[in-house]
Amino acid sequence: MIWRDGALVSPGPGGVYGERVRGGYRVWDPRRSKFAALAHLDRGFDLEDGSRILYLGAANGTTVSHVADYAEVVYAVEFAPRPMQDLLAVARRRPNIIPILADANRPELYAHLLEAVDLLVQDVAQPHQAAIAVRNRPFLAPGGRLVLMLKARSIDQARPLEEVGAEAVEALEAGGYAVDSSRPLLPYHRDHIAIQARRED
Amino acid sequence: MTRRYWWGDLGDHGGCTPAPSDDGAAIERLASIETPMARWTPSSWEEAVACGAATDRADYLASLHRLASRLAAARVADALRGPDIELARMVRALDGFDEAINLLTERAVEWYSTQDPGFTRKFSHLPSRRLVPLLAARARGPLRPFLAEIEGLAESRAALAREVTRAAARVLPNASALVGGLVAARLLAAAGSLDALARLPGSGLQVLGARTALFSHIRTGTPPPKHGLIFQHRRVHGAPPAVRGRVARVLASRLAIAVRIDRYRGELDPVFIEAANARIDGAAG
Repeated sequence: MIWRDGALVSPGPGGVYGERVRGGYRVWDPRRSKFAALAHLDRGFDLEDGSRILYLGAANGTTVSHVADYAEVVYAVEFAPRPMQDLLAVARRRPNIIPILADANRPELYAHLLEAVDLLVQDVAQPHQAAIAVRNRPFLAPGGRLVLMLKARSIDQARPLEEVGAEAVEALEAGGYAVDSSRPLLPYHRDHIAIQARRED
Repeated sequence: MTRRYWWGDLGDHGGCTPAPSDDGAAIERLASIETPMARWTPSSWEEAVACGAATDRADYLASLHRLASRLAAARVADALRGPDIELARMVRALDGFDEAINLLTERAVEWYSTQDPGFTRKFSHLPSRRLVPLLAARARGPLRPFLAEIEGLAESRAALAREVTRAAARVLPNASALVGGLVAARLLAAAGSLDALARLPGSGLQVLGARTALFSHIRTGTPPPKHGLIFQHRRVHGAPPAVRGRVARVLASRLAIAVRIDRYRGELDPVFIEAANARIDGAAG
């Protein structure tokens, strides 16, 4: 990943959501993007150029636009129609974003659009987030990576973050993932844990 | 077993049929395909090229981008069109009017009190729609056009409220018959769509709009809310406090059936309404 003066940036045409542009690069704000927050907190984290990526929970395409600056192709799945309108506008300027309006719980309805991917990014506000990652695991090439932005408050309003996180890690390991790390996204995002895992066969 | 991909169908023995070259037909085909995950194998652009569906990887991705974008756009249009969605947006616009009118009225009163320092709303119990004309008759200077503007907003608000009631009678005939068009429309707006509303259980309808109270109950164990938006219906807010919870519960249970009739049959069912009203009035006992 590319850093300029301590700021994470991505190479691509600017003006997607009013982001700052520095020296021809788009500044990728860790306060707005959980993905950028993870890169700030884990300096070993990398997003290889030319990756094929499946992004579940693409929303308005803010983070997706940065990810697409690095990737060869991003399959961007979003369920809600309103944010999809924004995502479609982002995808018009970035031909390597493949917008898919579908429920990440039901991969059988978009499987025919997908090839094998190197990285699965998941950022969905749903109660069964680990189950969704397991259901979408077949899309990962052998050894492919998972980055799961666990939204603890979508799983349980009241239980402690660590407990919800541990349960998700357990569910991922039972579902065929080897979990490498699990870290809260403080100070950038409250009630979120970034879980990094690999497909294990 | 034939493998089906966005670019075409692959038979067992290497035979393949490319997807229709016409985008409209290709998109219709896309929307109809379902692949059990246990049987899914990755799409490969080499196979698509071999099949004649693409010339190279760049062409493969460009076609996929075009088709996927058009399919997503068509689905967005489907989801965002429809009388229920428009009704929900009308309700939000109505709420916007209320917020604006209340805020501007408050500012007008503060302003007017500099012209008439003895003025107070205390003991006069004037709602905004009465207060504003009263001030307009007495105010001086630039406050007058400001008040006139509020009166104009209030007129537009009233007209929109009538439209909401009218639209609710079409979209939610049974729910409107039980709780009135405005409350029915507000419930719809809170749920987001008629589909979402029709899937809510009675207990969900009962506390729809009482999110803060509900989550404070779940988090910290405060008493659970007895009613959300349905409190605005007279049979709930008019009921004696001792039976208000029961009325809200029974009303919500009938309302859950009413919105399902609205969603799946779409017409008024007078027999159901009569029985439901009897149950609700019985609960107030």
